[in-house]
Formats: sequence, C-alpha cells, structure tokens
Amino acid sequence: MFAKLKKKIAEEAATAAPRSGVRIPRTISKESITSMGADSGDDFASDGSSSRDDVSAQLLRRNDQIRKLEAKLSDYAEQLRIMQKTKDKLEIALERHQDSSIKKLQEQNESHQSSRAKMAEGMALALEKKDQEWIEKMADVEKEKAALSARLEEMMEQSLALFQKRDDLDELEGFQQQELAKVKHMLLRKEELLSQREQELQQKEVEVQSAKRGLSEARGKLQALQQQHDESCRLSSELEIEREELLLLREEADKKISELEGRCQELQAVIQQVSEDFQTSQNMVSSLEKSLHDLQAENESLRLQQQKAAVTEEEKERLLVELQKKVSSLERRLQGNLSQDEHLQELLQEKSDLESSLEETRAELLLVRTDHAETVSALEAQASKMSGSITELQTLLRHKDDSSKAYRDRTDAQIAILEQQVVESTERMKCAEQQLSEKQQHMDNLQGKWNAEKAFLEQQVCLLEQQREERASRLEERVSSLQTDKQSLLDRVAELDKRMVEANSLLKQQTEELENCKAELNSRLTVSTEIAKSLEETRRQKEELQTQVEELTVGLQNSQQELSTAAKKLRLRDEDVQTLQNELQSRQDSLAQLQEETERLQTQLQQMELDKDSQLLSQTQQLDSCQARISYLEVEVETLTEQLRSPEVCEEDQNGSVSVDDLDHIHRLNRELEQQLSDKNRTNKQLQQRLAELKRTLQKELKLKPEPEAEGKEKCSESRAEKQERVNPEPPPAAAPSPPTSNTTVTNTSDLNDSREINFEYLKHVVLKFMSSREAEAYQLIRAVSVLLNFTREEEDMLKQTLEYKMSWFGSKPSPKGIIRPSISGSSTPWS
Amino acid sequence: MNQSDNSGQRGFFSSLFSGLFGTREMRILILGLDGAGKTTILYRLQVGEVVTTIPTIGFNVETVTYKNLKFQVWDLGGQTSIRPYWRCYYSNTDAVIYVVDSSDRDRMGISKSELVAMLEEEELKKAILVVFANKQDMDQAMTPTEVANALGLPALKDRKWQIFKTSATKGTGLDEAMEWLVDALKSRQ
Repeated sequence: MFAKLKKKIAEEAATAAPRSGVRIPRTISKESITSMGADSGDDFASDGSSSRDDVSAQLLRRNDQIRKLEAKLSDYAEQLRIMQKTKDKLEIALERHQDSSIKKLQEQNESHQSSRAKMAEGMALALEKKDQEWIEKMADVEKEKAALSARLEEMMEQSLALFQKRDDLDELEGFQQQELAKVKHMLLRKEELLSQREQELQQKEVEVQSAKRGLSEARGKLQALQQQHDESCRLSSELEIEREELLLLREEADKKISELEGRCQELQAVIQQVSEDFQTSQNMVSSLEKSLHDLQAENESLRLQQQKAAVTEEEKERLLVELQKKVSSLERRLQGNLSQDEHLQELLQEKSDLESSLEETRAELLLVRTDHAETVSALEAQASKMSGSITELQTLLRHKDDSSKAYRDRTDAQIAILEQQVVESTERMKCAEQQLSEKQQHMDNLQGKWNAEKAFLEQQVCLLEQQREERASRLEERVSSLQTDKQSLLDRVAELDKRMVEANSLLKQQTEELENCKAELNSRLTVSTEIAKSLEETRRQKEELQTQVEELTVGLQNSQQELSTAAKKLRLRDEDVQTLQNELQSRQDSLAQLQEETERLQTQLQQMELDKDSQLLSQTQQLDSCQARISYLEVEVETLTEQLRSPEVCEEDQNGSVSVDDLDHIHRLNRELEQQLSDKNRTNKQLQQRLAELKRTLQKELKLKPEPEAEGKEKCSESRAEKQERVNPEPPPAAAPSPPTSNTTVTNTSDLNDSREINFEYLKHVVLKFMSSREAEAYQLIRAVSVLLNFTREEEDMLKQTLEYKMSWFGSKPSPKGIIRPSISGSSTPWS
Repeated sequence: MNQSDNSGQRGFFSSLFSGLFGTREMRILILGLDGAGKTTILYRLQVGEVVTTIPTIGFNVETVTYKNLKFQVWDLGGQTSIRPYWRCYYSNTDAVIYVVDSSDRDRMGISKSELVAMLEEEELKKAILVVFANKQDMDQAMTPTEVANALGLPALKDRKWQIFKTSATKGTGLDEAMEWLVDALKSRQ
C-alpha cells in the first residue's frame, strides 16, 4: 500500500519537476514585473506629497510610469494567457490528484489520528524553528540591505565622481583640442609668414643680384671707357711724338732753308762773278768784234782788190776769148779761103803769137792771182784765226752762259723746289699743327668727356656701391631680422612642437586616464550590475522566502483545514474538493473577468492616457492588485496542490497519535504565525518599496543625471522640445506608432494593442540611449529618434549637424532652425 | 551654401581626425526574432559571461574588441512590434549577425521572411551576413544545414554569408564565427 503510494508520489514528483523547471523563468520575470509595478504605484503615492514642488518632474515620472505600466500590462496579458494554460494543467492535475487523494485519505484517515499528535508537535517545533530562522534571516536580509544601501550610496558617489571626472576630462579634452587647433592654426600662419619673408628675401636677393649685375655692367663700361681713355692717351702720346717729329722736321727744314739761302748767296756771288766774267768776256768780245770788224774791212778791201783783179782777169779773159775768136775766125778764114794753109799758117802764127801773148798774160795773171791768193789766204787765215778765237770765245761765252744759265736754272729750280718744299713743309706743318691742335682739342675733349664720364661713372659706381651697400646692409639687416624672426619662429615652432608633444602626452595621459576611468567605470558598471544582480537575487531570495512564508502559512492553514476536514471525515473532503473545484471555477471566471477587465482597463487606459494620469495610475494599481491577486491565487493553487501532496508525505511518517488539544494548539500557533507573517509581509513590502525606490533613484542617477552636464545646452533645447511633446501627448502617440514601410511583412494583429505601449517603451529606451550614448552612437540613433518622434527632415538634418558640430573641433554651431521654441509658439509651457 | 561648405569641411576634418586617431569602428548589427538569444550573444562576446536577460525593448549597444578590431555591436530588440524599427539602424552597417533559434521550428518561416526583407534593404547591400544557428545545446535543435535551407540562404546572390552553429549559453561556435567575420571584414577593406 505504502509502497504503491510512494511510487505514485515519486512519479508525480518526477513529472512535476521538469514542469516547474520550465516555469521558473516565467515566474521570475513576472515577479520582477509585479515588483516593478508595485514600485511605480508606491512611487507615485510617495511623490504625491512633493508634486507641488516639481510638477514637470512628476509628469515625466508619471509618463515613465505609464509607459512601464503599459509594458507591464502587455506582459500581464501574456502572463494571463500563460496562467490560463497553467490553470488548465492544474485542473487536470487537481482532478487526478483528487482521485488519488480520496483513496489516500481513506487509508490515511486511520493512521492520521495517531500521527496527528506527533505531527502537531513536530509542526509546532518546526514552526518555532522556522520562525527563529525567519527572524534570523530577516535580520540578515536587513543587514545585507543596509550594507547594500551603503554600497549603493558609495557607488552613487563614485559614479557621480566618475561622471564629473569624465565631464572634466571631456571639457579638458575639448579645451586641449581647441588649443591644439589654435596652436596649429598659429603655426600655419607663422609658417606662411615665414614663407612670405623667405619669398621677400629671395626677391631682395634677386634685386641684389640685379644690382650686382648692374654694377658689373657699369664696371665693364668703366673698363671699356678706361680702355678708350688708354687708347686716347696712347693716341695723344703718339701725336705728341709725331708733333715732336714734325717740330724736328721743321727745325731741319729751317736749317736746310738757311743752308739753301747760304748756298743761294754763294750762288749769287758766283753769278756776280760770272756776270763780271761775262762782262769782261763781252768786252773781249767787243774788242774782238772790233778787230773782226777791222779784219772784215781789210777782208773787204782785199775782196775789192780781188774783185778788181777778177775784173782785169775777166777783161783779159774777154780779150783772150776775143783773140781766141779772131784765132777761131782767122783759122776758119784760113781753112775757108783756098790756100787755108798759108792763111792757117799766118792765122796759126798769128794764133801762136796771140797764144804766146795769152800765156804771157795768163802767167802774169797767175802771178797776180797767186799773190792775191796769198794775201787772201793770209787774211783769211788771219780772219779764220780771229773767227776761231771769236768762236772760241763765243763758245766759251756760250758755255759759260749755258753753265751759268744752267746753274741758275738749277739753283732756281732748287730754290723753287726748296721753296715749294718749305711751303709744303710749312703747309704740312700747319696741317700737322692744325691736326695736332685738332687732335689736342679732340684729346682734350675726349679727356674732358672721359673725365666727365669717369666722374659720372665713378659717381654712379659710388652711388651704386653706396646703394648696394645700403641695400646690402638693409638686406643684411632684413636677413638678420628675418633670421631672428625665423629663429624665433623656429623657437616658437619648437616650443609649439614641444607644447604639442606635451599636449599630446597630456592627451595621451588623459586618454589613458580616460581609458582607465572608462575601465574603472566599466568595472564599476559591472560591479553595479553585479550588485544589481545580487540585489535582484536577494530580492528573489526574499520573494522566495516570502512565498515560502506564504506557502508555510497556507500550508498551516491547509493543514488545519485538512485536520478539521480529516476530523469531519472523507465527505467533508469531498465537499472541500467540490468547493475547491467551485472556487477554481469561480477563479477561472474571475480570471476571465479580470482579463476582460484588463482589456477594458487597457482601452480605458488609452483613453485615460489622453485625459488623466492619476486615473490611469489607479487603474494600473487596480490592475496590479488584480495581478497580485492572480499571482497570489496561482501561488495558492500551486501551494495547495503541493500541500495536498506534502502533508500526506509527512503524515505518513507521523501516522500516529493526534489529539484535539494538539489541533487547537496548532490552531493557535497558526494564528500567531499568521499574524507574525502578515507583519513580516508588511515590513517586507516596505523594504521592497524602499529597495525599489533606491533602485529607481540609482537608475535615475545612472541614466539621467549625466545628461544635462555631458550634453550641455544643446540637449536642453532638445529635451525641452521632447518635454513639450510629452506634455502635449495628443499628437505624438496618436501619430507616432506608424513604424515605417515594411510594416506589412510581419506584424501580428493581436499585438497591435500592445504595440503602442511597446512603442512608447521603445521610444523611451531609444531617447535615453540617444542622450546617454557616445556621439558616434548617438549619430546612428538620429534616424531612429526621428522616425519615432516623427521629426521632419529639417529637424533630423539639424540634429545631425549639431552632432557633427559636437564631434568635430571646428565649425560653427548650426543655427537651430526648425525647432519650435516654446517661447515663440503658442502652446503652453508647463515645464517652466 | 555656407553650411554645406562647413559640413564638408567638418566632414573632411572628422575623417582626418578619425584617420589620425585610429581606425573606424566596425558597425555590426545583431538581428533575429525575439528570444533567439541576441542579447546573450552580445554580452557573451563582450564580457565572455552568460548574463540573465529580459526581453529587449529597444536595443543594446556595446563596443567589442576582437583581434585588435573594434566593433560597435548593436543588439536590436526582436519583438514583433519593434522589428519595423530595425531599418532605422541599417545605415553604415558593415556586417549583420542574424541569430536564429534552431529549436524553434515553428517560427523558422517568420525568421526567413524577416531575413529576406532585411537583405532587400539598399543600405545593407554591402553588409556581410553571418547566421548563428543558436541554441544548438537543445535536443530538438535543427542542424546548421537545415537552418540554412529553411532560411533559403543557398539562394542568396551577391552576398558574402556564412552559417555557424552556436550555443550562447555554452559559448561554443562564437569564436569560429567571429574569426570568420574578422577575416571577411579585413579582406573586404
């Protein structure tokens, strides 16, 4: 019998174990939700007193609560469904259990009486022990709680310090970056200036070079001029030499002239001599001519004599010719008259006589003639002699004349030539002198010009040199100044570099610090999460304990009931079972009602969301209570079923003596315990409330507090806008939950009711994250926020620009256009 | 005019400074139906521990460093009502980790249609797809091949994808998957 029962129980335990194992997460989640719900309700109640101080904060909180409640409501609905399912299961289990329990009870009833006394005793003892344990546990829990709260405070402080540090760090980083940017900017400018200076320097250098080139050119010119000058000097010296030569020539010519004049005088003397000679010779000639004349006269007289002789000769010749004619006539007569011979003889005689006479005359004539000839010849000889001397003299004279003439001619020619030469030379000299003078003049001119030019050039050179020097000095000065500038700039650059390095190192340090801080923060966060976890665990433990306590109380009650029912026998049990069934039925009904109510409440809530927060809150409270009741009932049912089993198990062992006194005693004890339990429950609840409050404040501190400090002014305006939107919730919730386009793909129509709350929850989460996350992450969230809050494109762009502005070091803050400023628009501004 | 110039300048500077101070963080989205284990995977990747999670209404974003590569990992809540908001996060995404509950055979079709809708988005055309066939520790879990076929992965064109069997609670398969993802992202750059 017992073996059978044991087996059955074992089987049941085996089947029940996995089921409960599956269910655990659900119950946990549900409990967490219920506790949260309770938090929110209490929170509201506690806030009611301070509502006058901070309406806006309360409103915000209320909104949060509404959203939480909405989420919870949805969860409740889901859980309700689950519970229904579990309830069905429980019913089946109950039925099965009833059958078995009827059997068991029949068997147990006998043994029960005996075991009851023992059991009661054991129970009392156990209860006492448990009570003690509970007190201890409570003390422990309280202690733990105190420690946790202390730790929480510490953590909060730490987190606050951390946030402040982080803010400081951010600020510092910002400053540093700004400074760095400034420094960079300055550096750039300086570098630009440097390059400008360098360019200027280069320009100057080019100028200097050009000046130098000009100088060298001028020098070249000068050299050329000097060369010219040298040349002209040479020319002048040459000219001087020439002049000297010419002067020498002149002197020579003068000398020559004087010589020639001397010679001329000599020659004139010679000529005079010659003329004297000539005069003497002429005299001679005249004498000679006189003698000649005499001679000629003689000759003429001679010639006259001759002529007389010639005339007598001619007469004799004529007489001879006549006699020869008489002879010739007589011979002819003799030859012509007959006795020519006698006549010829007589005539020949006469002829001979006549020839003789002729010969005689001829001889005489010859004689005269010879005589004459002799005288003529003498005379002629004399004449010839005279004429010869004359001719001689004449030739001599002529010779002399010729020679003198030639000499004269010669001298004349020579003189003329000389004179000409002199003239020429003088002319030449003049010419030369002129030339010389001209040249001198030219030279002078040239010299003057050259001097002028030289002076000019020298001046120019001087000027140029001066200029150059000036410029060089200026440039040097400039160069030196530039170099000093450069040096200073380099120094500055070095300094800046150093500063940059320092800043970088600082930055690095700070980043390291930041990272450290971040690590710390992370660790702290993990610690906090752990703490939260542990808190949750403790809470869960507490809840478990509570449930245990509840179970225990219920068990006590049940055992009492059971005892009474056992005493009133099996029928009563049957009735009990019946009533339990009825109760279950009624619970189911009430559950259905509750479901309806919840639905109704949800709809009501939606309406009330638009109208009043308080109404909603009360409804949610109601809902919470319902839920609590439901959960309580569930737990009750569960425990009932468990108790249905458990007492039997212990009853089996204590199947001995059970008396009515014991029962009463147990009854009393039970009451006391119940009272204690209720007290403890109350304290528990209070503790839970405080815990929830602490948790909420922690969350607030963790999530909300860094916002206004970290995000600065920009966020304020945003949050202002959000606040405004939240305060006038008519437009956003009505229009908000229209998630984009892919709506059609997968949307469960049954969830549409919840989608609103979930959307609101989602919005809250996204906005929270948007405000608390890094800028890089926030940038990604702009889209989601814009979609959720129905931002226009301009508003979205503006958000993006502001974030970009915040992320970058440069640029100006974009003007916040598109924002509806509450001070401008007509809508109410309840937050102020 | 001026503002666009400014923004351009700012963009230039921000890119310059991002170039100066390290490489850009890779942006990874973890998507999947509710209860697939996305949040568990995220925290398993970040802290290497299994954390107790509640349904994510909203999202979680964490920076995960893996092999000197920084990832900005976004775990978006997968509940039906907030799934439409996924598309708000698609821009500038380098990779998508799609988590599937291998033991949830009933909702495999929904998972597939969500995946297909997601992959059709223009902003995710260049994103690498990694599918985690999660909850492999469950008895009734489907094999990765079954999951891949159920999701229609073999039919994908122009998409670099890979499927891994994982168990976020046991921590198996995550390293291999991340290794593959790192290699894929490095080779893509």
